[in-house]
Amino acid sequence: MSFDVMMRMTEIMLAIVVLQTAVEHLWQGQSRALFMARAIICLWLLFGFQAGIAVGALWLTSILLLHRFDGPYNGGADKMTMLITTCVGAAHLFPQWQELAMAYLAVQLVLSYFVSGYVKIVNPEWRSGRALVNVFRFSAYPVSENLRNWAHQPRVLWLMSWGVMGFEVVFPLTLLNPVVLLGGMAVAATFHLANACLFGLNRFFWIWLCAYPSLIWFQERIFE
Amino acid sequence: MKTLLAKTKSMLRKTIDLLLPALFPSWRFFKEVGPSPRVEYRVVLKGQRTAWRESHPVPERVGLGSVIARMVWNPARNTQLYMVSLSERLVSGRVEHSASELNHLIAAKIEESQGDLQFRLMFMDDEGGAITGTVVYESEPVPLSEVRR
Repeated sequence: MSFDVMMRMTEIMLAIVVLQTAVEHLWQGQSRALFMARAIICLWLLFGFQAGIAVGALWLTSILLLHRFDGPYNGGADKMTMLITTCVGAAHLFPQWQELAMAYLAVQLVLSYFVSGYVKIVNPEWRSGRALVNVFRFSAYPVSENLRNWAHQPRVLWLMSWGVMGFEVVFPLTLLNPVVLLGGMAVAATFHLANACLFGLNRFFWIWLCAYPSLIWFQERIFE
Repeated sequence: MKTLLAKTKSMLRKTIDLLLPALFPSWRFFKEVGPSPRVEYRVVLKGQRTAWRESHPVPERVGLGSVIARMVWNPARNTQLYMVSLSERLVSGRVEHSASELNHLIAAKIEESQGDLQFRLMFMDDEGGAITGTVVYESEPVPLSEVRR
């Protein structure tokens, strides 16, 4: 994938995902002016005219949102949105460093899996499966009370814990081969999809996908 | 002039504080599963207090159609997740903004139009194999008319 194609794909995906979240907030009546501005900027970015300025405007509204909500509204999903916006914006602003900016995004994407897996695998509660049991037993994350019954399946949750931890810590190795990388991204997307269905983390699913083109480009650029 | 400079400095510092975790994320998702918050509220009217009720509770079950629809339209669930973040921020000492936001979000969902709104944060945890809830914060009652946007 060429750098230009990767950039444009990232911009289009980012614009669609941010537009969706802006419409949700507008529907709820939250900070209408700010989210209306973001929706308009996303449409502008979709058309691609002066995309760098559009990304800059999106970045500024993201800063305002961080102030409005005193931090991210949707935790890691908002952080990834900000990270992608910053990297794409930096690539436009500093053309001589554009590859470095997008490589940083790709590396952070890999770290998002590896670090997340590593901190779990060194924790005995995760290794025993107890942590995931507790997620279903009493955490605020299951989308329905009915899902709490999964806590009565410790063997299944032990397997799921090791499946998640194993996939996350080996994810960096998928960079060694383009086909394996595509497979790794498919597994990762399935993992995000499961999180969206079980815990309502739909924004994570979409925004993580937005960073995938940068990883495909990065793999080709470094390893091919 | 001095005040303006101080305000600008404070705003810049806050922007950097808010921005840095996004530019250099820790990615330590679910490092451990600790006590987990529930938000409960009651309304105080003429000295009468209603029972504590959970705000924004999750439904008993979510059907397959809803699960699919929630992939692209999920504002209610995202509000619930925001309330979890607010609760965690509040008990970590970031009280003012978190309490104000929780008051607004609770008030937007309840039927009562008069009286004072009060909320509390109950953190659920595993103690000796049993799930127990501990109240770690109770807000000052505020008039509903003030917190409705």
